[in-house]
Amino acid sequence: MSDKKHIDRLFQEGFKDFEATPSDTVWKSIEAKLNEKNKKRRVIPIWWRYAGVAALLLLLLTVGGVLLNNTDDGSTIQVVDTENTSPEKKSIESNNPLNESTKTNTVVSDNDSQDESNESSIPQSEVITNKKNPSKETSIAETSASKNKNESKTNLISSDKLNINDKNINVKIVAPRSNNTLANNPSEEKNNTKNLQKEIENNIAVSNTSEEKNKNVDSKNEASLVNNEKAKILIDEASKENKAIANLNNEKTEEVQAEENTEENKRSIEDALNNAKDVIEKDNNQLNNKWSVAPNVAPVYFNTLGDGSSIDPQFNSNSKSGDVNMSYGISTSYAINKKLSIRSGINSVNLGYNTNGVVVFQSVGVNTKSSSALQNINSSSNNVSLISSETLNSNAPASISSSNATINQNLKYIEIPLEIQYTISDKKFGINIIGGFSSFFLNNNETFYQEDNGNRTQLGEASNINNLSYSANFGLGLNYNVTKKFDLNLEPIFKYQFNTFNNTSGNFTPFIIGVYTGFAFKF
Amino acid sequence: MFKLSLKQLIENCKIDDTKAQGELYKLFSGKLFAICLKYSRNYVEAEDNLQDAFLTIFKKIEQYKNKGSFEGWIKRITVNTVLQCYRKEKVFDIINENTIEDVELEVDEDTISIDYLLKIIQELPDRYRLVFNLYVLDGYSHKNIAEMLDINIGTSKSNLARARLILKKTIEDYKTTQHSQSL
Repeated sequence: MSDKKHIDRLFQEGFKDFEATPSDTVWKSIEAKLNEKNKKRRVIPIWWRYAGVAALLLLLLTVGGVLLNNTDDGSTIQVVDTENTSPEKKSIESNNPLNESTKTNTVVSDNDSQDESNESSIPQSEVITNKKNPSKETSIAETSASKNKNESKTNLISSDKLNINDKNINVKIVAPRSNNTLANNPSEEKNNTKNLQKEIENNIAVSNTSEEKNKNVDSKNEASLVNNEKAKILIDEASKENKAIANLNNEKTEEVQAEENTEENKRSIEDALNNAKDVIEKDNNQLNNKWSVAPNVAPVYFNTLGDGSSIDPQFNSNSKSGDVNMSYGISTSYAINKKLSIRSGINSVNLGYNTNGVVVFQSVGVNTKSSSALQNINSSSNNVSLISSETLNSNAPASISSSNATINQNLKYIEIPLEIQYTISDKKFGINIIGGFSSFFLNNNETFYQEDNGNRTQLGEASNINNLSYSANFGLGLNYNVTKKFDLNLEPIFKYQFNTFNNTSGNFTPFIIGVYTGFAFKF
Repeated sequence: MFKLSLKQLIENCKIDDTKAQGELYKLFSGKLFAICLKYSRNYVEAEDNLQDAFLTIFKKIEQYKNKGSFEGWIKRITVNTVLQCYRKEKVFDIINENTIEDVELEVDEDTISIDYLLKIIQELPDRYRLVFNLYVLDGYSHKNIAEMLDINIGTSKSNLARARLILKKTIEDYKTTQHSQSL
């Protein structure tokens, strides 16, 4: 009989130095996972690069799509068309003429009636199958005689009338009807009609906006309707009579043809939806680009309106000439609505102007210096005096070192504008009115005198310049839309300065004229 | 012997040096696999847990600041990895949690192979196995165990008692069968 032992002890002793060797596969899989992780780390940036390229491509495509939207439409039509050439029995069914004014409401109601007719599967109009039927007015009937195993029958419903009264226009509405889908999915059919309604509304909007588009679509439709010559003729007629209506009609035909293909019915609906989205997006594009960022550069001209001097009263009547300096910065704007946008930014601006007709002479004596010190300049050089040549002429001529010099005052500001921009025209060439104010923070302040011979000497710092000053801004903005997202700007702006100087003599009212040029990214 | 000191090895592991990671694995896989075997239901599961434990160790090795024993640190990680696996599985439902009257827990001293001990531990219900391992073999208190397994202290105690009972009975049964076989 062996000794008794507590079970805990038994296990504790048993497992005391217990070690076990796992199979090699464990380490291999650990190693694999570790490598995977390391690889992933390295792979991510490359993936991002690809993503960047993809994003760029997407951007280009979007831009291209916006620019060449019509072409896009055309290509989709052609694809649909080839599908339609598959052996399918087509019958052209003439529909009730739909009396349609340009109001969308009536269009909707028209479609409702179509819906009913579709659902009840009782065509309200004569069905022409396998016959050429010359209808009484300008109607068409075209059938391809080829029979189809597929029982799906696609009906092209078109109105047989194209009456153009004064304002009442009979538009051909072409609606799809497929027996299969009708029987199986009445709800889907409803969706179709709803999509169609949307399409029609959008199309009306489009057709109203541009004639060019209509023309393009016309030509594309011609291409798309190769096997439906009569319809084409009809459409041509329609286009002659009213291009907008023709477009409407054609686009509907496209949609119908897209939906005709019952096998591809779902896909066609998606296409139609995408098209509708495109159109909607196009319409909303302007509002989507609420933000814009615009770097800009401007030559700025600084001068004063009245007589007066910011430097010393003796220069009040001296001629002043503004300097052309540069302002550069960046501005952002946010569109509150289509007409109004608010904008701000930050600019670095250099200003400068010259006071002409100044005489510079070396002031040797202390008295001379004190008497000729300029009122608003903390002079850094003591042995030079400046005096207006006019004063000098009236006084007795003294020993003069330099006859005709200019005082050049330079100011450097950080400008923060806050402006409202009102859009007058937002076509390819946009015109805006800009108004607002700017805060100027003084950054640098220097005064020089420049002698005839071109020597430029620092005189000192003006003592009467406020660190913070304001201006009232008013200007005109011209912009050219290169793309939907990219503008070129030209903005001549006049800035009337309020409290740049706090101790001016005479009527010194400085202003800035800047022609701000730059480009804007809208997003 | 090892070319690098453990400290250096750890530092190299921190910068994802695959060689160092391999060395570290060689150094500790035996001990950690023992833990995994004790806490897991079977060999395959133990290997899976060992793999997860090492991946966690390599991931978290940056957080090891040379305070306290490295072996203790990686053992804790391993135990936690295994526990986490059971937490995920939520197979903790053990119905009978009544306290058991004290019974004699002595067994005959005989050489029982470690393989057999491991086998019967693995065959315990999950929570009994975990509690028994944590308390008896790895020295955790009932309070710690209760926190780790998210159970009451009482439950931990009763689980332990049940585990002991089962193990004792299993061993006794095993011995009788062996005995009868040898007769």
